[in-house]
Amino acid sequence: MKNNLVTLAVGGTLIAAALQSCKPQNTSNVVTGNAAVKSYVAPGKYDEVYNFVSGGFSGQMSVYGLPSGRLFRVIPVFSVDPEKGWGYSEETKPMLNTSHGMVPWDDLHHVQLSKTNGDADGRWVFGNANNTPRVARISLKTFRTEEIIELPNSAGNHSSPFLTENTEYVVAGTRFSVPPDDVNGDVPINTYKQNFKGYLSFISVGKEDGKMDIAFQLECPGVNFDLSRAGKGKSHGWFFFSCYNTEQANTLLEVNASQKDKDFIMAVNWKKAEEYIKAGKGRKVAAKYAHNVYSDVTHSATSEIRNEVTVLNVKDFPDVCYMIPCPKSPHGCDVDPTGEYIVGSGKLAALIPVFSFDKIQKAIAAKTFDGAYDGLPIIKYEAALYGEVKKPGLGPLHTEFDAKGNAYTSFFVSSEVVKWNIKDLKVVDRVPTFYSVGHLCVVEGDSKNPTGKYLIAYNKITKDRYLPTGPELSQSAQLFDISGDKMEMILDFPTIGEPHYAQAVLAEKIQKNQVKIFKIDENKHPYVTKGEPESKVVREGNKVHVYMTCVRSHFAPDNIEGIKMGDEVYFHITNLEQDWDVPHGFAIKGAINAELLIMPGETQTLKWTPDKVGISPMYCTDFCSALHQEMQGYVRVSPAGSNVPLVWSVGTNQPKAEEAAAK
Amino acid sequence: MKNLIIISSFAVSALLISCGGEEKKSTETQATTTQEQPQAAAPAPESYDPKRGEGKWTAESLTLGTKLDEAKATAGETTAGVKCGSCHKYTEEKLVGPGWKGVTTRRTGEWIMNFITNPDPMIDKDPEAQAMLELCLVRMPNQSLTDDEARQLLEFMRKNDGLK
Amino acid sequence: MKNNISILSRILLIISAGLLVYSVYVPIWQIDLDAPQYPEGLNLKIFADKLGGDVEIINGLNHYIGMKTLHAKDFVEFSILTYIIFFYAVLALIAAVLGKKKILYTLFTLFVLFGVIAMIDFWRWEYNYGHELDPHAAIIVPGMAYQPPLIGFKQLLNFGAYSIPDSGGWMFIGSGVLMLIAVIKEVKFSKK
Repeated sequence: MKNNLVTLAVGGTLIAAALQSCKPQNTSNVVTGNAAVKSYVAPGKYDEVYNFVSGGFSGQMSVYGLPSGRLFRVIPVFSVDPEKGWGYSEETKPMLNTSHGMVPWDDLHHVQLSKTNGDADGRWVFGNANNTPRVARISLKTFRTEEIIELPNSAGNHSSPFLTENTEYVVAGTRFSVPPDDVNGDVPINTYKQNFKGYLSFISVGKEDGKMDIAFQLECPGVNFDLSRAGKGKSHGWFFFSCYNTEQANTLLEVNASQKDKDFIMAVNWKKAEEYIKAGKGRKVAAKYAHNVYSDVTHSATSEIRNEVTVLNVKDFPDVCYMIPCPKSPHGCDVDPTGEYIVGSGKLAALIPVFSFDKIQKAIAAKTFDGAYDGLPIIKYEAALYGEVKKPGLGPLHTEFDAKGNAYTSFFVSSEVVKWNIKDLKVVDRVPTFYSVGHLCVVEGDSKNPTGKYLIAYNKITKDRYLPTGPELSQSAQLFDISGDKMEMILDFPTIGEPHYAQAVLAEKIQKNQVKIFKIDENKHPYVTKGEPESKVVREGNKVHVYMTCVRSHFAPDNIEGIKMGDEVYFHITNLEQDWDVPHGFAIKGAINAELLIMPGETQTLKWTPDKVGISPMYCTDFCSALHQEMQGYVRVSPAGSNVPLVWSVGTNQPKAEEAAAK
Repeated sequence: MKNLIIISSFAVSALLISCGGEEKKSTETQATTTQEQPQAAAPAPESYDPKRGEGKWTAESLTLGTKLDEAKATAGETTAGVKCGSCHKYTEEKLVGPGWKGVTTRRTGEWIMNFITNPDPMIDKDPEAQAMLELCLVRMPNQSLTDDEARQLLEFMRKNDGLK
Repeated sequence: MKNNISILSRILLIISAGLLVYSVYVPIWQIDLDAPQYPEGLNLKIFADKLGGDVEIINGLNHYIGMKTLHAKDFVEFSILTYIIFFYAVLALIAAVLGKKKILYTLFTLFVLFGVIAMIDFWRWEYNYGHELDPHAAIIVPGMAYQPPLIGFKQLLNFGAYSIPDSGGWMFIGSGVLMLIAVIKEVKFSKK
């Protein structure tokens, strides 16, 4: 009997212990054996893909190589960058000019590569500014921001920038509906339903030079536009916008904008809108907005304020916009490579609806409508629906595609990427992401001919992925090989800022077009100095213009005397080098701006207002040669009204005693 | 006693089996070095001709007249002011690079043309260029000269050395 | 003496009482929540008189799905549970000291009864919290209820919930097992 009791006791204890320790485990992160080989790019070799990643709240765009995950460049767009002098040099300050004045920061959410015939063409990449609504165009020859245009009547430029198939238009939509610029906006906030409107901007892009111009805007109901995509192929001429807050709430949107079971995807027939505008049906509206352009010939930016924009109210033209019901608070709205299927990702939904462009057209022709939203016809859900992907995961956000008819959707709440087949709406594979993926990017995954091969998941939560760095951690991204049937993680790398979206393109489309130097003969900067004999210092009242050159390893002039308190000194520095990768930097003590970083053949200007009498040294800040430490100079500042003559020189300003001894 | 052993061993093995999937093992293998060797740095030195240098100019392809070509020389002087004058004086005095006086007597025309259009490989191979590098401590940069510019510069150097 | 229990039983009862007293000061029950974006894990600890662990974080997550937030003061059980456990500890001591079989049998019966009632009450609370959801919640999955498991594992959306006794709970159970051993011993002994 005792034995039985003891047996009972021992057995019971062991069972309890087993129960305690055998909790179901996490999906273990097993990386397969050849991940290292797949993601390794040996020293001296190049990556296959350029990856342009939005910096989010850093206001920049970063350029990574795949599959190595190496960071090549952080392009300053909307945020000042003291390292490059962006927003600090006289030439780049106008780029950040807006109708509110010079704005030194913004929030860059999405990037879009320019396209021709639905495929990336390697000419430009576009980025949006969320806070002070603007769109920027960046050249892929120089990897610099060339043009920024502001958007009137807009707030919260989130659904932006998205391009049509041939880069006819860059399109932007508003996240925050507000009263338009030309009406009295001083209204109570709870008159949202009556007074607040959403605006879509269609910015035309010059075919040769990329110059942007707001062709027209569409005034829409006051919903929040989240993301959008252009149609391709058969659906070219249409644009699709995901809308949430169709409840039109103005407070506690967390609850009040999540009430309705279905919001909408708004289908916009922009070709029709274009026709109406051509026929003069748009109305001209007064609105102030800035347009800034940087030239690589004059190495300077110009900024102009425009005063007028053309607006079409979609309520008056009922064949321009149609609403398609979509569950629930949709975020992503993505068009598959054939242009037939439109995938809605409702971030609070537990299924993925896929709409058919052909069915939408049939429904419009047959007027299969289910009432209207603020005057815009609502197409019946079933009439537009191709099918639903059932129980794919929790919180779908964004979808991109490969060349084999598969779609890849990111799931924020269940922290995974799910691969599903578009035709039969079946889930094929799923992989966890670490942690909580936002957007993902497939190489050319939004074009007519996706490259596929790599998928990057951009996550919102990092926690324990890397060595910790205090409470603030970088964002994490995971690279997946999607060339096979199953997705395989091959790299986990941190990213700058907060990537919201990214685009990736084969390196060969961009690599060969790179500008290595600026030809000094073509330099048309108003203060260029083409050669040391032309260097000089010129006084115009209290403005002093220093025409300076730099070359390895000296400035000319490097000794300047005769500057006075109260002067505004402009150092116009021309880098005379014509060789690859020989920039020079410039800094002067007491300047309250930043350094200059000048590329070969370029001219850049730093403004300096001397604040005390005495000697200020200046020097080259970018290591340029064995004698970089010797590349320096001095400026003498005398009191206001002094009669020290304005002199400048390099090499000849010798001490007096030695001169006498030499004679 | 027997029962106890049987039950204990059963329970222990059940414990081990069910709790086996606990560790997160990463099964990475070392990356195999399958990449090719980088290109060989320099070809055999025997193939380098110190009189001609390295580049597309040869004694045959270069026509040097016995009289100075005034137009070319003037153009060359302008280009020299922009692209060369920061580092070279036209006298014998060294600035960053050596002074130009007498260069056309020390070097052949084609050597000069090749050097100013293709300095990097020549600095690696030419013994005289390497000797100069030790003095100047700066590798002469490639100033992206066109063929015309290079020819004009050579003509200016000949003028500087007294040719009329 | 036929009405008295053996020394062994008395010792078991004293140990029982000790375990019960100790269980008041450690967590009795735990619910572990596991989700991909919480690699560190989330834990709810239920003591005799309060809630512990990541209560604040769990409350923060609960509001998305419309579940009521957890506050110790909402549970009347927390104000009386300590006393009930002490009552049983004292009763066990009395049974050990006086040694009367009747007290032992009464103690055991009441104890088991208490255990059953406690589990039913726990299940009832879990049902209410899991089903009475705010209709204005942000995330509403049709047909979904968030009743945590009574004991064992259950998947709730992206969270795996694992409900098991904590150290205090094991002591409670251990204490009951000791009482059971004492009862069996006395019953067998009296049959001889």
